[in-house]
Amino acid sequence: MLLLIQYTLIFASVLILVALGGCFSEHSGVINIGLEGIMVIGALGGALTMRYLTAGMPAFVVILLVVLASVISGMIFSLLLGVAAIKFNADQTLVGTALNLLGPAIAVVLVRAVNTAESVDNVSSTVVYGQAKKAFLVNMGSFEFNWFMLIALLILIASYIVLYKTRFGLRLCACGEHPQAADSVGINVYKMRYAGVLISGALGGLGGLVYITAGVSEWKFENGVAGFGFLALAVMIFGQWRPINIGLTALLFGMFRALSNVYMGFDALVALKLPSTIYNMLPYIISLIVLVFVSKKSRAPKAEGVPYDKGLR
Amino acid sequence: MSTEQKKEGSLLKKCIRNNGFQTIIGSLLCIIIGLFIGYIVLLVINPQGAGKAITAILKNFLYYPSAAAAKKYFGTTLVKASALLMCSLSVLFAWKVGLFNIGAAGQYVIGAGACLYCGLKFGMPWYGCLFAAMIAAALVGAISGALKAYFNVNEVISCIMLNWIGLYVVNMLLSNVKEQTTPYTRPLSSVNKSALLPNIGLDKLFSKNEFVTIGLLLAVVAAIAIWILLEKTKFGYELKATGLNKNAAKYCGMREKTNIILTMMIAGGLAGLGAGIFYLTGIEQWMVQQTSVPAMGFNGIAAAFLGGSNPIGAIFSSYFIQHITSGGTYVDKTMYCSQISDLISAFIIYLCGFVFFFKVRLNRYLDKRDEKKGGAK
Amino acid sequence: MAEYAIEMLNITKKFPGIIANDNITLQLKKGEIHALLGENGAGKSTLMSVLFGLYQPEEGEIHKNGKRVTINDPNDANALGIGMVHQHFKLVECFSVLDNIILGVETTKGGLLQKEEARKKVVALSEKYGLSVDPDAIVEDITVGMQQRTEILKMLYRDNDILIFDEPTAVLTPQEIQELLTIMKNLAAEGKSILFITHKLAEIMQVADRCSVLRKGKYIGTVSVKDTTPEKLSAMMVGRDVNFVVEKKPATPKEVVLDVRNMTVASKHHKNNAVNNVSLQVHRGEIVCIAGIDGNGQTEFVYGLSGLEPLKSGTITMNGADITHLPIRRRLTMGMSHIPEDRHKHGLVLDYSLEDNIVLQRYFEPQFTNPFGFLKRKEIRKYANRLIEQYDVRSGQGAVTKARSMSGGNQQKAIIAREIDKNPELLIAVQPTRGLDVGAIEYIHKQLVAQRDAGKGVLLVSLELDEVMNVSDRILVMYEGEIVGEFDPKKVTVEELGLYMAGSKRKEAVR
Repeated sequence: MLLLIQYTLIFASVLILVALGGCFSEHSGVINIGLEGIMVIGALGGALTMRYLTAGMPAFVVILLVVLASVISGMIFSLLLGVAAIKFNADQTLVGTALNLLGPAIAVVLVRAVNTAESVDNVSSTVVYGQAKKAFLVNMGSFEFNWFMLIALLILIASYIVLYKTRFGLRLCACGEHPQAADSVGINVYKMRYAGVLISGALGGLGGLVYITAGVSEWKFENGVAGFGFLALAVMIFGQWRPINIGLTALLFGMFRALSNVYMGFDALVALKLPSTIYNMLPYIISLIVLVFVSKKSRAPKAEGVPYDKGLR
Repeated sequence: MSTEQKKEGSLLKKCIRNNGFQTIIGSLLCIIIGLFIGYIVLLVINPQGAGKAITAILKNFLYYPSAAAAKKYFGTTLVKASALLMCSLSVLFAWKVGLFNIGAAGQYVIGAGACLYCGLKFGMPWYGCLFAAMIAAALVGAISGALKAYFNVNEVISCIMLNWIGLYVVNMLLSNVKEQTTPYTRPLSSVNKSALLPNIGLDKLFSKNEFVTIGLLLAVVAAIAIWILLEKTKFGYELKATGLNKNAAKYCGMREKTNIILTMMIAGGLAGLGAGIFYLTGIEQWMVQQTSVPAMGFNGIAAAFLGGSNPIGAIFSSYFIQHITSGGTYVDKTMYCSQISDLISAFIIYLCGFVFFFKVRLNRYLDKRDEKKGGAK
Repeated sequence: MAEYAIEMLNITKKFPGIIANDNITLQLKKGEIHALLGENGAGKSTLMSVLFGLYQPEEGEIHKNGKRVTINDPNDANALGIGMVHQHFKLVECFSVLDNIILGVETTKGGLLQKEEARKKVVALSEKYGLSVDPDAIVEDITVGMQQRTEILKMLYRDNDILIFDEPTAVLTPQEIQELLTIMKNLAAEGKSILFITHKLAEIMQVADRCSVLRKGKYIGTVSVKDTTPEKLSAMMVGRDVNFVVEKKPATPKEVVLDVRNMTVASKHHKNNAVNNVSLQVHRGEIVCIAGIDGNGQTEFVYGLSGLEPLKSGTITMNGADITHLPIRRRLTMGMSHIPEDRHKHGLVLDYSLEDNIVLQRYFEPQFTNPFGFLKRKEIRKYANRLIEQYDVRSGQGAVTKARSMSGGNQQKAIIAREIDKNPELLIAVQPTRGLDVGAIEYIHKQLVAQRDAGKGVLLVSLELDEVMNVSDRILVMYEGEIVGEFDPKKVTVEELGLYMAGSKRKEAVR
């Protein structure tokens, strides 16, 4: 049971971070379907940093450096989306899809290059970071507390405040709802959209890092992040682009995902004799069903996906 | 200026103005920039072998000095390209109706599951398997279409969900027909030869490459059929009108909901057929522990847009994408890995997003220039 | 002190293929209401966009209080005290009134928004100028009039002293218009300088001090309102004396072609019905006009007729056949033609060629599609060319021109050609002359009368009272989804109609 809670919380943390990332991007008016790719790149940045960190550094420094690396790699990668969508009016779905393909490809090519450079026989795409990862964990009895759970909670609260209580949030949402209105009161729509995309890159990258450090101590980048970026999109929609709802949805989806890892510990579930694949599938099936009910009166930002062109008014 | 020169000038001008011509230029630019970026990445990883590696990618099967071997591997590239072509047709067909079929990947998976299961479990002949692949994938496409038409569910999101659901379902289904010791499905050639697509002598053209089958012809025929359907028929007229302005389509009495569902069904069927003509050659077995959706469907997006979302263009772009993907396996493994090709093709999709902008800018520039000329007269 | 608050001197602004403003000069005195008059496409909006920093002019200067200024973006305009109520409101619909007002000039403390002071200021301003709004209401829930007052408060909150009103009365009821005009006078009395963009002469005569006139991008002149007449202004605006009266013989109504009983259509925006229990009849050989302020259910009524929206209750009978539940295509093939309100949204596939748009209602007929489902391209071309010639539709490359590249008037002509040439029994025309120049309007009115004289039933939906009075044979006024009065255009005045349109009068026995 404790294990279920632990896994639920850590998966929920990932989903919260990434879904909030999507939320910021979409509130600014840019659909970010490339979260999956951004997660991979964020994870890559973090994993490589952990790999090369010297042992014996204080835990706090390790956490800081690794998080920074993920956040920055995520942001740089998200700029690809930002530039294409904001500056060049590219189709956001198309570019997002490209990001999803590009992320894992870059990760595999880089990791393999690094591994091969180290030893010619090593052609795997795996990064090992067992030691450094321990910095994130605090054992409380048999419960393994992960600092990222706290970080995700803090970011959730911060997002709520930023979106609804600050000047930045007000302006960001205005750009996603009615960019012409924002422009007419002197808000730089392009800047705000870049800000939205960069925040989504930062949070997506961080989410990627949390995901690969959740259970294991090495990561094979050929696997990408196994659809978590897409799951986060579902969380965002299910949460109707609102931070608090996103938090609750993430807990729900995190639990389903966790079940597939630990259902063996529950006699009732084992007795059902369902293959573990079913639990993997459940969040997707549920989101599909939920989408049917929420899509008719969706609160999606009105101008999302529409490139803003100053010339057209 | 002599009249001949004038004629030539206006011909060139007409060409530059022509939408198709602009698309081709845009696509070529994407390819060149994409390859260049790939080259830079190779340089960064290891400057010594970069030139050789990029040539290896471009040469693909020409890597083999013997003509026979080259021909054989050319055949293999073609087999994969034909599956890719079907996926790209699936994407572009939906795109014409204004739908982004990111679900081609999942529809392809379902198609693969259906045809392999029918072939391995029920011992069905190839046409039965192919039909099953098409129908199963079409149904999955129809789900996205129906959700879009009746519940306003964004097709991109529903397709993504279905991609993963499809992957897990097929993994479960095909676990029943896998080899006991490996995670792979049992080969059709040993279980049910009748499920293999007939070669009708095509294999002989490619140094007895037994994987070259009628699938190749089917894909090209499908591309032409889709082109005719879109450009010459009443149905195509309706679909494109729905894609360009669904309100106008509704206003003049087109059944837009039915058309959306039908479109996604056809798109799904195309992707399913793609899986059929690939897995029914026996060239690959399904790995039932896959944790990510096969890239074929996503590469279909690349091919569709690189081909200017034109079915005939897609024939060439699909081949090109597959050519460099296969070429990736020939890079020097002591320095690089084959995924460099994935990187290049992913980057090419990314660049395709800029083509529209490029066209708008080009036309604006041409307008301005014409205006100046007009003023001078 | 300089006499002028704002001067725009010799402004020229070009767009590809068109000179939108050609050497225009506009001088706004302090504390005056200055009307800017011109037809659609005369260059009024472009000129205001230049003043507001949305466009940069190729030539010309802008002076404020006699000093030259440059305005590169709305921020500059704002800093100079220039504010604008746009024709299409620039309000974020899911924000509250207060949030919309402070957007862009928020006060913060410790990074957090401080709304209390802003709220006090807004309440004070709204009391001072009689602009009643609820600061906490969400914009999408409030009336159009209130949204406009929010826009005005936005300018006042920023302490703007130069206020631009871009066609502010187009969306208002006559009573709301009066309120607005009073507010404008109050503002001018408080020392604000007001630019009032309009093409309604009566409003200019009522509130403006001076009036500048533009025509086809050129500056025609500035006159003092008390020294001029509506006729003179009108002549300046259109460049010739306009024949406002449409030539037509008295109508000879024959049998009923359309019979609507108790139609009710649900609203997408609010809980009440958009169309509530409406019954009406249209006879062959008459033009029935539905008049009313925008947004009183006319759009939904036509959607219900044409099948674009389902009915909640009621029946529609056309030529004796019940069409209530028939699909759109069946209604159209049974003799309904529909010139839609929004030609870009419904009327045309803009990226299709002209010929493909011309067959939009007939492409499926055997003359254009063979039994195997292939289009007969040659026939389509032939047919399109005939209509293009007959209805004088002008375009760059004839039948293959993309509809997008055609002018609004010619786009509308193409739609009218398509709908009339179907030889309908019933022609529904919704705001068929919206946004068109005088020549095109005359042409379209003639076509409508010709259809009537050919024995068709014509149902015209219009927001323009001139059009209502001149073209129709019978007027029905719609208010809040109901028919509130029926009139003979010869026996009713515009003022009388206005009272019905605004809901302050209604006849009970019209059904």
